[in-house]
Amino acid sequence: MPTRDHLQIWINGHRHEVRGDDMFLSLSDFLRDRLRLVGTKIVCSEGDCGACSVLLGRPKSNRLEYQAIDACIAFLFQLDGTHVVTVEGLSGGQLTPVQQAMVDCHGSQCGFCTPGFVVAMHGHCEQMSSGERTNRDEPNWRQALTGNLCRCTGYSPILEAAERAQAAGCPSVAERYPPAPLLAEIANSATDELEMASGRRKVYGPTVRSDAVKFLVENPGATIVAGATDLGVQMNKRHIAPTDFLLLNRLLEFRKVEVNDQGEEGRVLMAGAMATWADLETVLCKELPQFSEILSRFGSPQIRHMGTLGGNIINASPIADSLPVLHVLEAHLGIEGPEGSRRVNINDFYQDYKQFDLAPGELLAQIAMPLPREDEWLRLYKITRRRDLDISTFTAAIRMRRDRDRISEARIAYGAVGPIVLRLPQTEEFLIGKTFTEETMRLAGDMAATEITPISDVRGSADYRRQLAKNVLLKFYHEEHPSLVVV
Amino acid sequence: MSSLGQPIPHESATGHVTGTAPYIDDLVPRTDELLVGFAGSPVASGTITRINLAAAKETPGVVAVLTASDIPGKKIIGPLFQDEPVLAEREVLYVGQPVVIIAAKTRVALEAGIEAVSIDVAERTPVLSIDQALAAKRFIGPERQIRRGDTASALAASPHHLQGVFHSKGQDQFYLESQAAIAYPAEEGQLVLHSSTQSTTEVQRRVAEALGLGMHEVVCICKRMGGAFGGKESQATLPAIFVALVAHHTGRSARIVYNKDIDMQSTGKRHAYRTEWEVGFDEKGQILAYRAQFHSDGGAAADLSTSIMQRTLLHAENSYFIPNIDVCGQVCFTNNPPNTAFRGFGGPQAMAVIENVMQEIATHRRLDGLDVRRRNLYGGEGRETTPYGQKLGTNHLPEIVSQLAESCDYRKRYAQLESTNAADRLRLHGLALVPVKFGISFTTKFLNQANALVNLYTDGTVQVSTGGTEMGQGLHTKIRQLVADAFGLATDQVRVMPTSTEKNNNTSPTAASAGTDLNGAAALDACAKIKQRLAGFAAGQFASSRVASTDSGLQQSSELIVFDDGAVYDSRRPDERIAFGQLCDAARRERIDLGARGFHKTPGIDFDRETGRGTPFEYFTQGAAVAEVNIDRFTGELIVPRVDLLIDIGRSLNPGIDMGQITGGFVQGMGWVTAESLEYNDHGLLQSHSPTTYKIPSVTDVPGHFHCQMFANDDDSNNLGVENVGRAKAVGEPPLMHALCVWAAVKQALDSLTPGASSDLRLPATGEEILRCITKATKGSPR
Repeated sequence: MPTRDHLQIWINGHRHEVRGDDMFLSLSDFLRDRLRLVGTKIVCSEGDCGACSVLLGRPKSNRLEYQAIDACIAFLFQLDGTHVVTVEGLSGGQLTPVQQAMVDCHGSQCGFCTPGFVVAMHGHCEQMSSGERTNRDEPNWRQALTGNLCRCTGYSPILEAAERAQAAGCPSVAERYPPAPLLAEIANSATDELEMASGRRKVYGPTVRSDAVKFLVENPGATIVAGATDLGVQMNKRHIAPTDFLLLNRLLEFRKVEVNDQGEEGRVLMAGAMATWADLETVLCKELPQFSEILSRFGSPQIRHMGTLGGNIINASPIADSLPVLHVLEAHLGIEGPEGSRRVNINDFYQDYKQFDLAPGELLAQIAMPLPREDEWLRLYKITRRRDLDISTFTAAIRMRRDRDRISEARIAYGAVGPIVLRLPQTEEFLIGKTFTEETMRLAGDMAATEITPISDVRGSADYRRQLAKNVLLKFYHEEHPSLVVV
Repeated sequence: MSSLGQPIPHESATGHVTGTAPYIDDLVPRTDELLVGFAGSPVASGTITRINLAAAKETPGVVAVLTASDIPGKKIIGPLFQDEPVLAEREVLYVGQPVVIIAAKTRVALEAGIEAVSIDVAERTPVLSIDQALAAKRFIGPERQIRRGDTASALAASPHHLQGVFHSKGQDQFYLESQAAIAYPAEEGQLVLHSSTQSTTEVQRRVAEALGLGMHEVVCICKRMGGAFGGKESQATLPAIFVALVAHHTGRSARIVYNKDIDMQSTGKRHAYRTEWEVGFDEKGQILAYRAQFHSDGGAAADLSTSIMQRTLLHAENSYFIPNIDVCGQVCFTNNPPNTAFRGFGGPQAMAVIENVMQEIATHRRLDGLDVRRRNLYGGEGRETTPYGQKLGTNHLPEIVSQLAESCDYRKRYAQLESTNAADRLRLHGLALVPVKFGISFTTKFLNQANALVNLYTDGTVQVSTGGTEMGQGLHTKIRQLVADAFGLATDQVRVMPTSTEKNNNTSPTAASAGTDLNGAAALDACAKIKQRLAGFAAGQFASSRVASTDSGLQQSSELIVFDDGAVYDSRRPDERIAFGQLCDAARRERIDLGARGFHKTPGIDFDRETGRGTPFEYFTQGAAVAEVNIDRFTGELIVPRVDLLIDIGRSLNPGIDMGQITGGFVQGMGWVTAESLEYNDHGLLQSHSPTTYKIPSVTDVPGHFHCQMFANDDDSNNLGVENVGRAKAVGEPPLMHALCVWAAVKQALDSLTPGASSDLRLPATGEEILRCITKATKGSPR
């Protein structure tokens, strides 16, 4: 396996070799400061506004798949063998239909968010033309643009422009940048192992998982880089300044998502730790729509194109959106280490705030999610101040089975009400054998409130969280109740 | 054909969509450029005991470290009162207040340099809220009031009576381009600044003062801003002074661009308000008397707070005739960053209180809120004079409210609410219509002036410059249209040039929704002067038959000269035309001046702050909006499925741009009334200082049905009898206040749970705030 000490990145069709300290720059800084491609704007440096959106083209079955990402929280060392298209690179002189529609529909006012919107719109066009999304209506555009903030327009003119561009038919990026030569160039070095260093900092990008483990054993303080959607924020805001990085994105089998039928045990969704949220969405929307619905509000398209399931689990935040459902599904984590591999139930994985059952040298490789049977109830809740692109104030997963009108099984997991995501054993115990009534769920809510230890913070008070912990069980009752009326 | 009234694109739209329209941080750095930042106060209040700069000075790449003692001129500045230190010297007044300026060669060095500064402060107990300021009697400026009638007696005599305390929170402007400026030294100590500012003159003046220079030594330029919304009216000055100081001390060019966190933590916002109110009314909900005492959180310096409070008082009654009214307002001192202008400028806070009162009255009397509002609406004999004595003049409010209520099917939808709410186990539904009347003009009289420079070139193209700044609102597009229309040219023959103090001096900030009214009128004044000269010249040309193909025989008459379609002709001989460029070229050869300066001052306005009486406004922009809301009974989460809005902005100069102001202002207002919540810790440090924690509306928050319309009318003059520019009315700020209907609909929905459930609902109505009300009203059980 050849080893390389520098990066190869293609930007707007041109190949760039990057060495030295520049490898540790954010993509947005590299574009703006080194290449003077200043159309990519910086506002928040934390992936929460989308002004820095660019298209990231990654090889996927004989084509380049272009997805919008936030350039401010992507580091160059993550981007070897990719093709980045910036707002400057979208058109070859003439405005694209997206750009023209934004002009004609007054989609820009101050213009600062506009390049990001234009890129995100092109990203959505790419997805639609690849057949991954077929709905051709406005709500779909709304979902596609949740990663971009605009303070001027009230979004209406932008949505109008999006529909107009779609009607006009937006040419794909591949039309401007023929994929064959790019793919050929990229393929030449795609299987290289990366071993890059500059000053005190080093990055290792193995292509074999045992090498990753070996590196971790030798460098116990190394920072594992999955999608970097949180790492990027921590580094940009100078909360941390790691020096050793282990890249997992060259371990291609870590991105696989598939559903296995395991007979008695039912169907199990197997996901590699490096599967992005976007990868998962395509499977979950059929297999576990409740999770898919939560995912549609997880971060933004830009975040979901980079962020990974494994990253969410290992980041170990008590407000991580994937954790409550994984807890009630009794998901198993496949862990690789110097002693071989092992499996652990996620309910046994977390010990305390950001503390979990992973020994030095160990690595999360795979997640197995047993899918619920059809006769089970599963509901997930993500309570936020703003519907989209907001970190949860409170999260919950409630899973139940009934035997006639009695509850036979109950699993409840709450997030953001303690140092880790909590299962509620007393409340679950209380529910088993009870009749499924409003009163039962009210009492369960009261009990749930005693099993949690919420704190007050910028996203909500402890009282609010305690009230939500109570109410969500009543909400579950009213949503599942057969005589439900929704107007 | 004239472009006036046409939805032509924003003049920079192509630059925006291709990423080629540069903002401050996109300008190519000069080779000697330094990056500038500052170290701020670690605490909200105290006395500096020691500033350790040694480590910062030794940091590799750091070139300059400056403190207050390095300011050669005025150390204390301010737009109204001189009470704000450029850099804290002894006392620190808020967390993040700039103390030490650092200039470095690279961003990494700059950040390291800032982190190397240590500032020791002997801490004092800070004043962090209006309540604390009231207890400590810490105020800024005098208390002001507006009074009419005998409010005390009328309140006592009213058959029904309600009172309460209303709280509204602040709001961050959240312009996407943070505060930014570049300075570079010019000859003999002069200085050139590029600033993201709404007021080039303000920056020029404060920089000159701080550096001890004459204003003539400083040029300030602003091409465009990436949003401002009031946040760059006065507060663009500090960053500009910082780079100016660095340029002055190092002789090198200097650039500052705040990051979002620093911007939000250290700059001012919309003021939080606390208002005690009392209202007396009759059975039908007609208000007989209203008293309100406003207190605002001014922060640690006056900034524009007293003017903002003035506008609060002038909007206390919103769109309602209130015979007996007594409103007073006092700005409070707190150890927060000095609060400042934000779209609406104190108006929204006043209108929120009276709309809360309207909803309270409706609930109390079991009436439809629309009936209460209509009963009190301005209109009818003796009911069209404001509390400060200005006649309303044109009043379309009753028509607008009727037309909107009808077009959105308000009555039918309202009638269905009760059964809907009874049936829906998951959600509460609410509906409210709120009118808005907003006064147009700066309430500070002298600011209502503008000048413009129009230059014609010999090919017939035009450059126009005004003191108006472009922040996305489309001012430059509208000026381009007005000037093109004046000369009968296509818009691409006219360029609006960067705003610069070199061309336009002593300008007012682009604010108060008056940008087009003032600068457009000034530009037209300049055009008229040039046209007069050109018409005279052209008339001579036609009369002397130099261009006429046949014997002219025309009596020379410059009044009959027409500028149209890129050409000039005598209206009696429309076929004999001179191309506009040809005329300009010929005129120059005859030594006719092809440039002019225009001036405009708003006529007829005057207001006496002491007595609270006068005619502060040229006219009022009026409108109304209806919101329907859904609330999750269990979580308090809010959805706004439908909004209908009708606004009178006269004859829109550019319906595309104006509609963008309407939808944009409304959604921004929705943010203020629902989701944007500034959260501070006990030490006065803002916790929600970036989009991760401060949630402005996202695309999915836009109502699914969002129908905005402009009210059709043929008004040919404003209420002072003066024809406004293009017969248009200002659009900038009013749409923000229309979003109060969303808040009112939340209140209405909550009261359907049980009357009075919303009595202490605050603004913003976040999910948490809504659930608090639900929990209280249902004793903890939402069903």
